[in-house]
Amino acid sequence: MAGKAGFNPFEMARSQFDRIADMIDLDSGTRELLRTPAREFAFTIPVRMDDGTVKVFRGFRVQHNDARGPCKGGIRFHPQETVDTVRALAMWMTWKTAVVDLPLGGAKGGVICDPHNLSPREQEGICRGWMRQMAKLVGPLVDVPAPDVMTNAQHMLWMLDEFEAIHGAKYPGFITGKPVGMGGSLGRTEATGYGLVFTLREALKELGVRAESTVAAMQGFGNVAQYAIELYTRLGGKVVCVSCWDQKDQTSYTYRKPSGVQLEELRSVADRFGGIDPAKAKDKGYEQLPAEAWLEQEVDILMPCALENQITGDNVGKISKRVRLIAEGANGPTTPDADKELVARKVFVVPDFLANAGGVTCSYFEQVQSNMNYFWEKDEVLGKLDVKMTSAFLAVSELARKKKLFMRDAAHVIAINRVAQACKDRGWV
Amino acid sequence: MAQDVLPARATEAEAIPAFDRHFFDGSEKFTRIGGGAVGGKAAGLALIRDRILSRLDPGEFPELVVAVPTLTVIATDLFDAFVQRNGLLELAVSDEPDDRVAHAFQRAELPAELPGDLRALAEKIHVPLAVRSSSMLEDALAHPFAGVYATKMIPNDALDADTRFRKLVEAVKFVWASAFSRDAKSYRRSIGIEAAGEHMAVIVQEIVGRRRGGRFHPDLAGVARSYNYYPTGHAVPADGVVNLALGLGKTIVDGGTSWTYSPAHPKAPQPFNSIRELLHHSQTRFWTVRMGRPPAWDPIRESEYLEEPPVVEAESDDAFRLLVSTYDPESDRLVPGAGRDGPRLVDFAPILKLEELPLNGLLRRLLALSEDAVGGPVELEFAATLDVREGLRGAFGFLQVRPMAVSGEAVQVSEADLDRADAIVTSSSCLGNGTAEVTDVVYLKPDAFEAGATPAIAVELERVNRALLDEGRRYLLIGFGRWGSSEPWLGVPVTWGQIAGVRAMVEATLPQMSPDLSQGSHFFHNLIGCGVFYLCVPRGGERRIDWDWLARQPAVVETAHVRHVRSVRPVRIVVDGRNGRAVVLRDGGHGG
Repeated sequence: MAGKAGFNPFEMARSQFDRIADMIDLDSGTRELLRTPAREFAFTIPVRMDDGTVKVFRGFRVQHNDARGPCKGGIRFHPQETVDTVRALAMWMTWKTAVVDLPLGGAKGGVICDPHNLSPREQEGICRGWMRQMAKLVGPLVDVPAPDVMTNAQHMLWMLDEFEAIHGAKYPGFITGKPVGMGGSLGRTEATGYGLVFTLREALKELGVRAESTVAAMQGFGNVAQYAIELYTRLGGKVVCVSCWDQKDQTSYTYRKPSGVQLEELRSVADRFGGIDPAKAKDKGYEQLPAEAWLEQEVDILMPCALENQITGDNVGKISKRVRLIAEGANGPTTPDADKELVARKVFVVPDFLANAGGVTCSYFEQVQSNMNYFWEKDEVLGKLDVKMTSAFLAVSELARKKKLFMRDAAHVIAINRVAQACKDRGWV
Repeated sequence: MAQDVLPARATEAEAIPAFDRHFFDGSEKFTRIGGGAVGGKAAGLALIRDRILSRLDPGEFPELVVAVPTLTVIATDLFDAFVQRNGLLELAVSDEPDDRVAHAFQRAELPAELPGDLRALAEKIHVPLAVRSSSMLEDALAHPFAGVYATKMIPNDALDADTRFRKLVEAVKFVWASAFSRDAKSYRRSIGIEAAGEHMAVIVQEIVGRRRGGRFHPDLAGVARSYNYYPTGHAVPADGVVNLALGLGKTIVDGGTSWTYSPAHPKAPQPFNSIRELLHHSQTRFWTVRMGRPPAWDPIRESEYLEEPPVVEAESDDAFRLLVSTYDPESDRLVPGAGRDGPRLVDFAPILKLEELPLNGLLRRLLALSEDAVGGPVELEFAATLDVREGLRGAFGFLQVRPMAVSGEAVQVSEADLDRADAIVTSSSCLGNGTAEVTDVVYLKPDAFEAGATPAIAVELERVNRALLDEGRRYLLIGFGRWGSSEPWLGVPVTWGQIAGVRAMVEATLPQMSPDLSQGSHFFHNLIGCGVFYLCVPRGGERRIDWDWLARQPAVVETAHVRHVRSVRPVRIVVDGRNGRAVVLRDGGHGG
């Protein structure tokens, strides 16, 4: 989402917020507070490069709101990163933690850089430099970072190490997304995909449809999509196609198998980013179709689990009349234009910040475990995750039903109300 | 036929509503998690609800509220997923010790479809739970697996939901692992089912009972059978038989001492010569769930949260007076109730003799309804909690119904047959009906037998049994004391699996080992259900065992206490269940 010409994500986030604020008749003080990040940090990160030169990178941290608890949000490395992208994402984090009722606020951070062109040592320099600038402004009780676009567990460990060196103590609960055995939580890998299917399962119950009788199409074949396919098929559903990015052809393809895709079969022909080898897939009986074919299939369920802005006003008409449910694994896959059409067609949507909140929920569990320095069995993590996601879904769907709201609006109403109430309770507004 | 009534089976699971994460406050009291089959025990419970209790008029016994305690069944597909996704099958069907298998199951991860529901259950429920097996093979008529698989009772009273969830998960995994205990595998092998051929559902059910300080148990629990293999006095087999015990039903299931009576003659005196003897043979300890402070952590022990205190410790229970009589030494008689000091006899006299509560009437009615529903003789399990505060009332939990096997083959053994010269064993107290031929005889050496060695004997027998099972040979087993006793000084404490290849067993007595028969245990139920003949040869009676002939046969295996012999020509076992007479004839019965 970073830096598309003419598109300002923060403006979009604000207009979404304003619409809901009107709907719930939010007072002007609270409205002003919540449409503005509480704190913003922009800073320089000088790094000595492998060739001996020094390069100065630009880093950010935006803490949107911490009325409900310490801020929580990832740190992204992206060449087109802008402060407005980070602001928007920080605000969305506030709503996401609130909708699943985690005692956390929202934040986001980033560095303008392209890790593809940086050696590991240079990336470590950026991580440690970021932390030297921010070490006094973040912390386990203040603001807890996590991996995000183009950052991973290794980056988090470098940052944690720098933070602990500065503060002179061990703080495993300061950062999440750590590897298991180094303060990470079991179940984190599966959490987003499984969480998506937990909400999907509840949505099907609401629609009175048995999972065994449904067929789904999936966009994406990354971590979220793979675990979503795994659990959805275990519940009896059938995924007939997945789409993925082809690095060589610089385009996406849809791979279809009407009898149902086999997860292990596809994993065996995919790279670690979820890119599927076209020739091998064809050998295994998969039909290669154009990028957008995934949303044109005769299915009951669509699961966009790849990128933002995928279901738009332009292509929403191609969605089959059979589709009754869309569960958004990706962030912002559906544009407001497309939403209008989905509302008109009475398609049930599990909105992104609810459907994919399994990841942040499990991050919260990691934070809790790390602060105790006592780690749970996977059964316990998944049990809590399921209950948390299910409760969140039920609260949203109940409100949607009672107030006759679109699910996305109902989720926003719940989240914004919770945050606004916390601000009121603290006497801020 | 009973098989048609209890199909256990995937199609039935469809009829049971899905668990909606509300246990007590949901609209359904009988739900399912998962989409597979629900197993025999759950099918039996569905039968109780749909075809037995639906026909019971609540106005008939207003003092007793009859219900199936609230439960949810974890269907077999989740068991299959657990075993398969964790790669447990190879270890499970191997010959590794039970605790290794159980530990591996504890370490494995639940299928992701399950923990959410278990977590929701643990968050809402704070009452003790019974986690019970409900396998595909269990409680089916042809192969009664009663007692082969585990039941774990958990107090579920920890303050935090995390602990309750963990204990519940441990219990579920423990019960799953019991599908692959050595006993279970050996039992399956004996009836021709492969080691991996079991699919187990698990029932999570509220325990009938009430908290009493640090303990939780029902006032009474029991097993009622509509057919009595050992009628005494005026009773006839069709009168049935009831065993009652104070506390949890484990006392009865494990074959401990309980109160046995005929529902047709609930006031009939017991077959003992004196009150002293009666007191000696009555229940002295009871099973209860230990609440509060947790015991040492041991997730692979079935009785981790159970304890067995003396009956006297139940004196403060509200309803205790209804469960006992008190011995009055001055008049040398028993007085129903606990109104005076003195030795207590757990005989349920105020209920059975003074009829303060129509329990016996209810049991007779339920037996009749159940027989009708199943289409043959039945066995029921139940537990009840009594409320004495405002008039006498009770909550009666109907826990199980299963069909009993009663053979009808016409076999006759006359008095004269018992005197045949070629008879190596004769008995006028036997169980089962029919004939069989075997060449292998396994017997405990009378000279080497001692009561203190019975646990070691069980291990020796297990080895012999396994070798015979491997060769597909059934055998005649002869020993002393109560087979399958939970109390080693009363007999050899074998589990069913340790002697699963047996075709007929003889229970003899020696001066140092002469207890009463062990009616009432699951062990016995399996014996009957598997068509194993049982012959009793008490000491000092007219009936006998030809030890000399046995000693002359060549030994295949001989250990410290056990001798396995193989005769050249088969021995023929003839059991006349109707007249209670049986003989074992050498040379196929043609020698004499």
